[in-house]
Amino acid sequence: MTGAADTADAAPGAGGPSEAEPGGAAPAAADSDGDSDRGLDLDKLYAARLQAARARPYVATALYALHAVPSRQVPTMAVDRHWRCYVSPGFVDRTPVEELAAVWVHEVSHLLRDHHGRSDRVARQQGLTGRAERLRMNIAADCEINDDAFGDGLVTPEGAVLPETLQLPEGQLMEDYLRQFRLGPQFGHLSWLDCGSGADGLDRQWDLGRDGAHGLSAQERDAVRFRVAQGIKGRPGNAPRQWQRWAEEAFHPPQPWRDLLGAAIRSAVSGSGAGEDYSYGRPSRRSSALRGTVLPSLRRRPPQVAVVIDTSGSVSDAELGGALLEVAAICRAVGGRRDLVTVLTCDAAARVVGPLCRAEGIPLVGGGGTDLRRGFARALRSRPRPDVVVALTDGQTPWPSDPPPCRTVVGLFPRPAPPGTPCEDDPDYRPDEPPQWARVVTLG
Amino acid sequence: MPSTLSAPAPSAPAPAQLDVASELLALLRDTTTEPRPDVQLEALTLAVAADLPVLLWGEPGIGKTAALTQLAENLGLPLTTVIASVHEPSDFSGLPVIGDDPAVQGVPMAPPDWAVRLVRAGRGLLFLDELSTAPPAVQAALLRLVLERRIGSLRLPDGVRIVAAANPRASAADGWELSPPLANRFVHLQWVHDHDVVVRGLGGTWPRATLPQLDPARLADAVDLARRAVCGLLAGRPALVHRLPAGETRRGGAWPSPRSWEMTLRLIAFATAAGSSRDVLSLLVRGAVGDGPGLELLAGLDRMDLPDPEDLLADPEAAVLPERGDLRQAVLDSVVAAVRSRPEKSRWDAAWTLLVRAVESGAPDLVVVPATTLASLRRDAWDVPEAIEELAGVVALSRRADRAAARTAPGAKAGR
Repeated sequence: MTGAADTADAAPGAGGPSEAEPGGAAPAAADSDGDSDRGLDLDKLYAARLQAARARPYVATALYALHAVPSRQVPTMAVDRHWRCYVSPGFVDRTPVEELAAVWVHEVSHLLRDHHGRSDRVARQQGLTGRAERLRMNIAADCEINDDAFGDGLVTPEGAVLPETLQLPEGQLMEDYLRQFRLGPQFGHLSWLDCGSGADGLDRQWDLGRDGAHGLSAQERDAVRFRVAQGIKGRPGNAPRQWQRWAEEAFHPPQPWRDLLGAAIRSAVSGSGAGEDYSYGRPSRRSSALRGTVLPSLRRRPPQVAVVIDTSGSVSDAELGGALLEVAAICRAVGGRRDLVTVLTCDAAARVVGPLCRAEGIPLVGGGGTDLRRGFARALRSRPRPDVVVALTDGQTPWPSDPPPCRTVVGLFPRPAPPGTPCEDDPDYRPDEPPQWARVVTLG
Repeated sequence: MPSTLSAPAPSAPAPAQLDVASELLALLRDTTTEPRPDVQLEALTLAVAADLPVLLWGEPGIGKTAALTQLAENLGLPLTTVIASVHEPSDFSGLPVIGDDPAVQGVPMAPPDWAVRLVRAGRGLLFLDELSTAPPAVQAALLRLVLERRIGSLRLPDGVRIVAAANPRASAADGWELSPPLANRFVHLQWVHDHDVVVRGLGGTWPRATLPQLDPARLADAVDLARRAVCGLLAGRPALVHRLPAGETRRGGAWPSPRSWEMTLRLIAFATAAGSSRDVLSLLVRGAVGDGPGLELLAGLDRMDLPDPEDLLADPEAAVLPERGDLRQAVLDSVVAAVRSRPEKSRWDAAWTLLVRAVESGAPDLVVVPATTLASLRRDAWDVPEAIEELAGVVALSRRADRAAARTAPGAKAGR
């Protein structure tokens, strides 16, 4: 990753031979891989790992779980998906200890964040093939790591790819970066970049593979990642924000809100009491076989859906438009005819806009504050009564105190409201949490 | 041109064509098998052997049914497939049949024919397909079948094992999700296809999994280990005993409850008795109680695998330290912690011997922190052991890292 072949200016004072320990005591036993480890300065490599573990104690477990393998084929340092770290002896010789420490943290970050698995998924979904695409994934993954990996005890290695190198904003995920740039001549200086198959999922010729020595099994990899995530969650103060986000999501990746909203609405409109279920309204097709017995039959009754839209000033038109189209599509998919879906807009007062005929043509009027209680009351008063109420809101509203007599799905636009922000009029005002009786899906 | 096409050859009547077709079909069916380790199938087999209902989650068409067929063959059980979504609740709760005098005899609930056949056979594999697309009322009826093994007035015999399959929510076009009570009764296994296996299988060679065998000699140990693992975790983490799934992402999946912990206990015992790998156990445990609690349990099992610090201190010369760096560090830390809890000269010396052994056989940077801590435990009367000479390299290593860290300090960075 750190290409910078020429670090001669940094070498003399940094990791020079002056401080090589007499007697060496190089623990060759750890890497008894034959003659290939000749020349690898393990002491220097391990001193760097020690510094890395001291600077980032929350990834120490993962650092120690990496097994160093000397390799003359790797340009610098590279990892594979089985948690081996291939190290070029020449790179160790010409790189100062503090820079090696930063590279250790960088490489282990690839593995902790499962960049190889994510690259494979992206490649499969988007049909990306070839080395150039994998190089692009490697660069995007580096951007995800490097924007907050260095500093605070670690130097920024020479040649590290930062989002600003690509003129992209910081703090995004690999998948986001990947969408935003194409390889071109301006990135020619990055073509040597190679963090190994652990970073982009493409097997390298130097990889020892699944059956090679010292690899970690899938379960062992998960266990190490879990321990690191637990460590970060246990002491969240020490880790930067990106790492905290990773720890939160490492084993519960957020699902796309479209799927979740779809599932919530589907299960709401199809639950018992709405839509398709068994009813005694008509005899079952089996009743003829059982004289004298009344069996229920499966009847389909299209559900009535009321969509309450928060049109207060705090919700943007783009958000509303996207969510509303989604609701309309889902209702169509579950067989609700469009005229069965009613849309209400709601700010401080509620008004009925009418049946949902063209989702994109609904005039959304409103602004100012919100009182969703009025919206709910209005929706429940309408005839025929709705089976399901879907509320799209940013949640900065009072909620009804009692659960409405029908299923409720709340699509919530996320608002990063820092706790303790006082309201102008009423310093004690806090927006209520969405109630327990609703199924809440966070959108966007 | 049409005239030449429209005239069929009189010598080739339709039946002959069909014979050729069946010959071609027979050739296509003619495939071989090869042994291949299959973690998914091994986990499924263990859960079925442990008599726990299994739920296979997987996209349509990736070979869930094929896997079930193979499993039934291997276990020597007849396979009964029931598509849950095309049945009515009464098919599982029993159809009411009017007798002569309902006021006296009541209305019996007659079971469907497949249930009768299963009961008569006394053993079998019941496969409930398309579970997630069954309407809620059908799921409610299935609850009783899965939990109490009752269909109408029949009770399925103990020899019958239950496996269900469902499509994940993202791919179920029109699906209901499982209610938490039903989800809690299953071991959830994510069924994914292996690219290599599919390509090789279409080429004519399908894998034949070697199935786990329970070892009668290990049963008692397996039960002991399972109880220690589960109780050890839950004693320290009472919050993990029961936690309903919160939030949309985790709905319909595995979640921890006393019931699913009991299932976990059984699964650990079976996996241990069969000598299965940790990967298999990981699938099973996470499928029973969910990812978070499952991983915590597995982490606890990993710790139980590590050597006991007291054993190491008792005989440091014979100690075998784990190869992997992170585990080795955990062992060394536990040794130092043991010395700290009961500081005696002999234990302190033994710990130094262990650290020297660690330096001789592995990466030296792991030893720095335990060595520093151990040095701080020294009492005035204790002489420094000779072995400590061997750790000079470690001290130098630590100093080197210190110097590098000093160069990294904000002021030093400007010079680069």
